[in-house]
Amino acid sequence: MLKVVVVGGGWAGCAAALSASKAGAQVLLLERTDSLLGTGLVGGIFRNNGRHTAAEEAIAMGGGDIFVAMDANARHKGISFPGHNHASTYDVTTMEPLVKKILQNYGIEIKTNTRVVDVLKHGKRIHTLIIDGGIEIKGDVFVDATGTAGSMGNCLTYGNGCAMCVMRCPSFGPRVSVTAKAEIKELMGRKSDGSFGAMSGSCKLCKESLSIEIKDSLDRDGVVVLPLPERLQKSSSLGKKACTQYALNEYAVNLVLLDTGHAKLMTPYFPLEDLRSIPGLEKARYEDPYAGSMGNSIRYLGIAPCTNSLKVEGLDNLFCCGEKSAILVGHTEAVVTGLLAGNNAVRHCLDMKYLELPTSIASGDFIAFVHEQMKLEAGLSIRYTFSGSVYFERMKTLSLYSMNRTEIHNRVAQAGFKDIYSVCLV
Amino acid sequence: MDRNISQCIDINSKYCPCLLAETNQCTFCSHLKGEATCNCNWAGVCILYEKHWQYKKIQQSEESIATRMEEEVSFTVKEQISDNTYRLEMQVSNTFAEPLMKIGSFVFLKRPNDPAFFYFPVNIMSVQGNMLDVVIEAIGPKSIRIIAENNDKLVVRGPYWNGVLGQPWIDNLTYGKIILVAGGIGQAPALPLAVNLKKNNNQITAVLAPGKVGKIFIKEQLTELGVAVHIVPSLRKNGISMLKEGLYQKPDLVVSAGPDNQHYAIIRTMQAAGVNIPMVATNNATMCCGEGICGSCIKKVQGNTEIRLCKQQIDFLKIVED
Repeated sequence: MLKVVVVGGGWAGCAAALSASKAGAQVLLLERTDSLLGTGLVGGIFRNNGRHTAAEEAIAMGGGDIFVAMDANARHKGISFPGHNHASTYDVTTMEPLVKKILQNYGIEIKTNTRVVDVLKHGKRIHTLIIDGGIEIKGDVFVDATGTAGSMGNCLTYGNGCAMCVMRCPSFGPRVSVTAKAEIKELMGRKSDGSFGAMSGSCKLCKESLSIEIKDSLDRDGVVVLPLPERLQKSSSLGKKACTQYALNEYAVNLVLLDTGHAKLMTPYFPLEDLRSIPGLEKARYEDPYAGSMGNSIRYLGIAPCTNSLKVEGLDNLFCCGEKSAILVGHTEAVVTGLLAGNNAVRHCLDMKYLELPTSIASGDFIAFVHEQMKLEAGLSIRYTFSGSVYFERMKTLSLYSMNRTEIHNRVAQAGFKDIYSVCLV
Repeated sequence: MDRNISQCIDINSKYCPCLLAETNQCTFCSHLKGEATCNCNWAGVCILYEKHWQYKKIQQSEESIATRMEEEVSFTVKEQISDNTYRLEMQVSNTFAEPLMKIGSFVFLKRPNDPAFFYFPVNIMSVQGNMLDVVIEAIGPKSIRIIAENNDKLVVRGPYWNGVLGQPWIDNLTYGKIILVAGGIGQAPALPLAVNLKKNNNQITAVLAPGKVGKIFIKEQLTELGVAVHIVPSLRKNGISMLKEGLYQKPDLVVSAGPDNQHYAIIRTMQAAGVNIPMVATNNATMCCGEGICGSCIKKVQGNTEIRLCKQQIDFLKIVED
């Protein structure tokens, strides 16, 4: 039986594992920490703006399990907040076991606390992964879903230092890029000021630490917008953010809180003393990163050069997804690329033609567009997402943005991609 | 056992980050080698971070980087083992002695009024309270100065720890079977290795040869520890065949304490016997500064890289034979 090994158990890796399993492979999913979902353990927003279209496309293509699970575990549906409409938030506090169960039901073997530290390759083929401690894991084809953050040294060099985020590098060890270990030169994203990397765009407050009014309001409406006192309105920090869809002026003059189980604060970091000077947040404390006063994780430091079928260039049997595959932001984007990478990994073993998503649907146009943009110097300082910024504008211009499920499903069917992820290829 | 032990011995000590990190030559941290992103063999601490905090501290106190301790002490010749071989005993402060309890510990010695380039490295044979025992062969221009002219004072600099390559294997092995081969002056570092292995309930068979020193001087101590001691007149002639027999007993680890020739002879014997187990080897590299700066201990290793043997652990098998 052909064996697909997925490295990295974040949303992208989970989607790749799921997709490879649906296509008929034996799948091993390796995760460095003790739990799946990666930054999805603290994220939670989906279906906002163009992400709705992308999620429906994935469902139409037969890879909807994850979105169905997010929907089923949603805390809020159809909420609006500055710049964003019809957003859903899943409950970050209960999502991980649910996803793990789904993957296990598909027969995917999940190994947590398993950190890949090196690869062995022969020519252009990886044949073995080395785990921290020396154990070797063999496979036929590999998916690099290790993200782009690296470790705390990167957060110190390109950010404000380790802020003790959910990645928990000091305890579980740094993220290691399979692509880099296979000696493929990676790309680095940039901030708008030209420096490398970008800071994660949100942090999370413990909801119980907020005033009862704010907490109730979050539980009821899913969103609270608090006007910031003038002295705290710092628009300069916006350029550092990974999530350009939130780099809007509304976020500079307001504090936007979303209910994801935690109170998601739509800013990379915020000094606690300042935060507590805002009415209702007098007792606020951070849930993630713990040192949310000073910084957040730094991303986009190791992007794999890859084709639109998400095969890593320079290697025959390595695919990539999520942030590893492009300067993209968000769970939806991770899942969409993960599904494709997982499916193509199986196709590799069967000597089949790789899938490229058609540009007549948003997901396909997205991957092609982002890869095209990344060839340009200016394109490296932009972040891409279905939910805002450059790409959402493009979606609207090209009429790829749709809220109509039937329309989206028809487009997928017309392109010949209906249920393509649910076909067993083996 | 994890065969990949390539790591800097000073990590997690107060001597890390060291002078190498100052000049982007750290042997471990990719950022401190001048690379763009993280790529280290994670040791549980981030050296870049350590440096970051150290830098803040230095700015406040204007101290320079932590250098090793130096103490001027009197010594006595406890035993003249042979013509040029002496066992010295000296009393140092508690703070100096304590970090030398680790296996692989060594110090540098010189006469008090000699310039710093007279420092030469010597393994610690035993630490009892704050008494250090070392064995020196007074044959070179530096070591000869210690014994000459009825001198009884010296300066010790330390602690250093990379005297044994394969230290993690010794630290981590319990209830194992070990063959210990020690020749000549290699008997001195062999003793603390045996002591540590015994603490972890390991079973040791030792093959000892007098070597250039011409004498066996650790037999009693080993026997007391419960080590099965075999003495041979020459490792080359009789020791290797004894080692071969030992390898049939399926040991977990081979420890070679002695010159590089001995290490290589053992490797060849193991290869001939088709045995692939880790081999701990005493570190015989020429050292002058001990801080990774002078370059005298640099060796080529497989993969066309170089390592500084005063600091870096490595599987001896990976060192390219001169």
